[in-house]
Amino acid sequence: MDIFSLGLEHMLTLSALVAIVGGTILGVAVGVLPGLGSVIGITMILPFTFSMEQIPALALMLGVYCGSVYGGSISAIVVNTPGTPQAAATALDGFPMAQRGDADLAIGWATMASTIGGLFSVFVLIIAAPQLAAFSLNFTSIEYFALGVFALICIANVSRGAMSKGLLAGAIGLFLATVGVDHVTGDMRFTFGNFEMTAGISLIPAIVGLFALSEVLIRASESMRVKAIIAHNVGFRLPPLSAWRPRLWLLLKSCTIGSFIGTLPGTGAATSSFIAYSEAKRSAPNRDKLGTGEPDGIVAAESANNAVTGSAMVPTLALGIPGDPVTAVMLGSFIVHGLAPGPRLFTEHLDLVYAVFLILIAVNLVMFVVGALGAQIFTRALKVPEPLLMTMVVVIALVGAYGVRGNALDLATAFIAGIGGFVLRKAGFPLAPLVIGMVLSQMIENSLRQGLLLTRGSFLAFFERPIALSLFILTALMLAWPAIRWRYSRKREAQDDIENT
Amino acid sequence: MAGVSWASVIGGLIFLTTAFLFNHTFADAYQTSVLTAGRGPVFFPRIILAAMVVLSLLVTLGGLREQGAEFRRSEILVVVFAIALTGAYIFSIDAAGFLIPTLIFTFLMPFVLGYRSVLVALILALTYPLAIWYLFNEVFLIILPSSPWFEAF
Repeated sequence: MDIFSLGLEHMLTLSALVAIVGGTILGVAVGVLPGLGSVIGITMILPFTFSMEQIPALALMLGVYCGSVYGGSISAIVVNTPGTPQAAATALDGFPMAQRGDADLAIGWATMASTIGGLFSVFVLIIAAPQLAAFSLNFTSIEYFALGVFALICIANVSRGAMSKGLLAGAIGLFLATVGVDHVTGDMRFTFGNFEMTAGISLIPAIVGLFALSEVLIRASESMRVKAIIAHNVGFRLPPLSAWRPRLWLLLKSCTIGSFIGTLPGTGAATSSFIAYSEAKRSAPNRDKLGTGEPDGIVAAESANNAVTGSAMVPTLALGIPGDPVTAVMLGSFIVHGLAPGPRLFTEHLDLVYAVFLILIAVNLVMFVVGALGAQIFTRALKVPEPLLMTMVVVIALVGAYGVRGNALDLATAFIAGIGGFVLRKAGFPLAPLVIGMVLSQMIENSLRQGLLLTRGSFLAFFERPIALSLFILTALMLAWPAIRWRYSRKREAQDDIENT
Repeated sequence: MAGVSWASVIGGLIFLTTAFLFNHTFADAYQTSVLTAGRGPVFFPRIILAAMVVLSLLVTLGGLREQGAEFRRSEILVVVFAIALTGAYIFSIDAAGFLIPTLIFTFLMPFVLGYRSVLVALILALTYPLAIWYLFNEVFLIILPSSPWFEAF
């Protein structure tokens, strides 16, 4: 109880409460605006957190994270343009409802489902994270190596595009993080005599470039247009309790899907909302009406995508392994604020962990109020011309890149990463594995070298440890999965051909 | 640009860069294998680079099956101008501080991206950089680069 009180005390400060409300409002606004999304939202608010204390800084980021996942649903419903990829499934039923004149009711369904999904995932986080952290206390460097490789392969495998591109992007990230001083021997690596390169490639400026600047260039290449916004009956109308009763099972199932998917590396809110939507299409009470403006679709998609927010923090907080670029940026920022996520966080700073739990609960409740009161105002944000918005994004993102170390070299890093990100995206490379590769590189390298010291140079001995072996088997399965799937589909096609003839 | 896919071009470039870097790991400066039992500074990067050589080759070959890249001339121009303006902005921050280059950038960038209202762009250029500068310098105490001509900014 003492720890809980301490956590509550951390949260109930004026600055933390302001950060929770401000972060959530900002997050919803970022989510509403198509093209910004959670990663850019978090990189945009990073510079504001540098001079803040630990808890308010965390509260601001968590507010933006959860708010942005929910905010995408508003533009998906009102203008059929999901503000974030996570809300794409919401548009399938949300927009037809808006066309019928029930936009306010659709926003009501989405807001309620998002809040319940978010709260559900916080409880998953509260239960799972301490267990996982306690379990991982037994891990040696060998298990951490296996875990790091597994996480990276997962992300590379499930990312958009060909698997080879995902793996190559992950390998580029791993390599980029090795530039600079070798932390074990103190030797310089790949600096080519340039003193400024000895500090290595900074993560935050690289993320700013890869996501924010490249997004601006991508949009520039696709000719920005100021779209005419057709505002439907925007507002907020809560569906009656009787309408919820037949959908409770669907809600629970979608929350569970979202929370489970959130804990897996690489899969995010977009995947979970589509899986939950598919499941609703298979088993929901009104499955025949899905796609025509049926609330079941909104409930499934929105509860599942927000159920990812808390559970995605499970591996991030408990193991220090981020599951996606959003949690990677947050992990980087936690470290800037002197917090090192991982099992030790749970033994040494449990009060802070509890504060994070409570902040997440508060953020989800605030999100409901913000959605209920501000849906109409947020829809107006859609009228801001994209070129102006993108210009503002470039400036604030660059301030974020500069603010980490106050070094102008980081601006150049962001610029080069921006061009690199643009080129890679145009060529169909996913950027998430690159970022996760950069984050995990040092951990994977150090644990590999330490593991080899433990086993006296024998890599085969890594396979003698059961947990590591299980993770290696899962990694191998992940790598083999495309080939297995291809064989299976070929076999099925052949069977279909036989049946047809 | 039609005919060769972006994936092949980028894959090929990554292959060449990676091959060079892999070769670089055998430079004399890194030969500390006696002291480190073969696990010196380039032990891990060499494994990664070897994997990258194979993967970039796969991407290059896989890209041959993809459709050739096609771009409209106007779109390429917008991207080139956006990159040039952002690059000029970033490199002028070091020389002229944050505020003045940001003012100019915030005014010009919307036009590069297709916006045409001078008045709105001017209002944005006069308010947004000042607001950011004031917020960070005075409220958050994150000192942004200042110009060599004015003491305050």
